[in-house]
Amino acid sequence: MMVAVFATMSLALICGWIGRRWLAVALLATSLVLSIWLFLFEIYSPEYGFRMPWIQTELGSALSAIRVARS
Amino acid sequence: MMIGSDKPMTAQRLLALLNYTYLLLVMFVIAGILTAAMTLQYVNGELPCPLCLLERVAMLGVCFGIMLNFRRGFSYQNTGFSLLFAIVLLVISVRQSLLDIYPRPGHEYIGSAIFGIHMPVWSIIIALALLTAYAIKLAILGDDEYLREADVSEFPAIRRIADILSVYVIAICLINLVSVVLQCGFGECHTFGYKLLQ
Repeated sequence: MMVAVFATMSLALICGWIGRRWLAVALLATSLVLSIWLFLFEIYSPEYGFRMPWIQTELGSALSAIRVARS
Repeated sequence: MMIGSDKPMTAQRLLALLNYTYLLLVMFVIAGILTAAMTLQYVNGELPCPLCLLERVAMLGVCFGIMLNFRRGFSYQNTGFSLLFAIVLLVISVRQSLLDIYPRPGHEYIGSAIFGIHMPVWSIIIALALLTAYAIKLAILGDDEYLREADVSEFPAIRRIADILSVYVIAICLINLVSVVLQCGFGECHTFGYKLLQ
């Protein structure tokens, strides 16, 4: 996917350089959409992503400890 | 002599010159930052993480808008492209910095610091600097017609430097494309090594 992001950005820059404005803008928009999709995938994927479950786990255990202490 | 507005032509020309100089400086700084990042990658062997690569894409997107201003004449649509990618850069770098504050076990590697600041934090500073600089430029130069009427060919030296810089930015993007193919193949990106060279 990252290859597609860089490929579309490269093509957008080249098309912009040679004067194919609307093709360049379409490629830029494609690159932007792919980038956002990949960013969301990276931060939410439970397998590859950065959901920070270790922080949630620690927060969960801390909350459990507080509940236990209150009861 | 008056053209298109009530500002004298010399003042218009000066403001147009300032506008193009500003755009040139922004592209120059971004090209420098990307070159530094690539030097860290190829000389020090610090492979970029997926979010770092997306930050590079965002910086290239900012350059796209600037390059179009030099190739096809100044337009606020092009400025919009640059601002859009500056926001993308800010969002990604903030997320990455939050991640690095409390890294995932086994993924503590975040690269070396430059002047005591790591790259994700530098990216936040860069994104904020870009947005601030654009805001100041718009506040000072406004949205007057003369910026759209003044062609960059009126300033041949700036035009030449902009052409060289634009080609350099395209070359950076193509080198990164090859590098990404080697590092990630057509799957997920990791910082363990170049997937296709193993």
